[in-house]
Amino acid sequence: MDQLILNGIVNGLIVGGVYALIGVSLTLLYGVLRVVNFAHGEFVIAGSFLAYVLFSHLGLPPLLALPIAAIAFFAAGWGLYYVLIPRLSRSDDPELMSFLMFYGVSIAAAAGMLLVFEADSRSIDYTFTPISVPIGPIYVSTARLVALAIAVAISGALAMFLFLTLPGKALRAAIMNPEAIQIMGVDIVRLSAFAFALASALAGVTGVLVALVFPAFNAFSGPDYTIIAFIVVVLGGLGNPVGALLAGVIFGLAEQLATVFLPQSLAQIVGFAILVATIFLRPTGILGSSARK
Amino acid sequence: MTMQPAVMELVNVDVAYHGDIRILRGLSLKVRPGMITGVIGPNGAGKSTALRALYGLLKPVAGDVMVDGKVVTGMKPWKFIDHGIALVPQHRSLFNDLSVEDNLRLACWSFRRDKARVEAALERAYTQFPMLRDKRRDKAGSMSGGQQRFLELGRALALQPRMLLLDEPTAMIAPRISAEIYAFIEGLPAQGISVLLVDQNVRQCVRIAGHVYVLELGQNKVDGGAEDFRQDSGLRDLIAEWVDYRIDA
Ligand SMILES: Nc1ncnc2c1ncn2[C@@H]1O[C@H](COP(=O)(O)OP(=O)(O)O)[C@@H](O)[C@H]1O
Ligand SMILES: [Mg+2]
Repeated sequence: MDQLILNGIVNGLIVGGVYALIGVSLTLLYGVLRVVNFAHGEFVIAGSFLAYVLFSHLGLPPLLALPIAAIAFFAAGWGLYYVLIPRLSRSDDPELMSFLMFYGVSIAAAAGMLLVFEADSRSIDYTFTPISVPIGPIYVSTARLVALAIAVAISGALAMFLFLTLPGKALRAAIMNPEAIQIMGVDIVRLSAFAFALASALAGVTGVLVALVFPAFNAFSGPDYTIIAFIVVVLGGLGNPVGALLAGVIFGLAEQLATVFLPQSLAQIVGFAILVATIFLRPTGILGSSARK
Repeated sequence: MTMQPAVMELVNVDVAYHGDIRILRGLSLKVRPGMITGVIGPNGAGKSTALRALYGLLKPVAGDVMVDGKVVTGMKPWKFIDHGIALVPQHRSLFNDLSVEDNLRLACWSFRRDKARVEAALERAYTQFPMLRDKRRDKAGSMSGGQQRFLELGRALALQPRMLLLDEPTAMIAPRISAEIYAFIEGLPAQGISVLLVDQNVRQCVRIAGHVYVLELGQNKVDGGAEDFRQDSGLRDLIAEWVDYRIDA
């Protein structure tokens, strides 16, 4: 096989693994809470900064940053839920208010990161040994392969949670029929807080992977990832976690292969082309049926 | 369960959907213990709204909801199961992409750690509606309308409730299945279960209910013992006004 294409596929899988996680957390949040988190990208970048601080100030390697990010972001998400969401239900139009509120959170989070870390791009110069691994004729950075393995492991664990455990099924049930889950005796407020915390933890962990996979990040990187998350969520079908995982990989592959076949300027719009095409051709996403009628 | 059949009441309840438009106005009704209480009335009268207000899905802007004589206004919907009160709403309450068995297991959420009790609840649903056992691995959404209704009823009954609130349980169900569902409902009081039956099918509702409320425009029109409805020609004419139907035609 042509080396460039192989390179595109391997990179597509790696980047796609990160996109899948970014999308699945946003889609869970939307599915259960019916809110669109415009600050999702900032949550992700905050995870990258956490990994950066842990490494450059405390000397902790990125692999150790993963569980720390998971716990810290889970707790922060839980708290944030109770600060933000009860205010929405007092509004006459909670859905519209949620747009404005999370847009505000996004601005505040970006400004906060700018204050602390300034505008410079950061990266983590942690190196794995060996620094790269041969795959057939090409060499791939070990850090990126490790990130891919972690993304696959987390996706697998998440799928097992959602499909094999009762709390996971309750979460999916809440997406399918939010009123019925309440009359089953499930406290929807606690379940929503859990969904928010879980989505935040996933975003934080994804941020650590972003620091491993992409060359650099800064306080302004958030919106790039929010847009990627939107594309993945729409492509996968709103509120459909399996769809989001699949869509993330498809989008990653399309984007990376586009850089092989198309001129640089065209390759950059491939994401938007996918988004627009999905909305026109398959508005319910690649898996076809919407999670909610 | 050795608990008493439950009693539930709406007392002078007003419910508004948007701002000031009151859908229910001063509505009072009582779900009597150990019998079937019927609620009938024309489409849009507020029957479903009353049921949703009873179950905490809507919060009254005035008036109270009571369970066993205690005020529970504003209690969240997920607390009612703990009081032994189950609801089968008008619109489908199943989780379509989950299996029949998972739908039943989710209903056992509040006692999910008590394995023996969960298994007993599943067994109760399967015994009541054997077809659910055959379909237990199928997705709930893949079943026919009647089968889905049986799953909803079996799921509610599995919890051994003291009261069952039913909103048009036979709407859009084939007649043969409807007859089965009415037979099932008729047998509930003997098991110590109080029933609130909201129904479009006036004939069946009046036939099996012990007490019947007629709602109109979100208000009480009349109510009385079912005997009155069967015999009183004034009541019969009233009902005939809004449904093209005679009770013993
Ligand atoms: N979610 C809602 N928002 C606004 N109005 C509603 C809503 N649900 C029902 N209504 C209105 O409330 C009235 C009573 O409806 P409902 O309780 O469903 O009547 P019934 O069950 O007796 O047919 C109707 O006029 C209906 O249009
Ligand atoms: Mg109705």
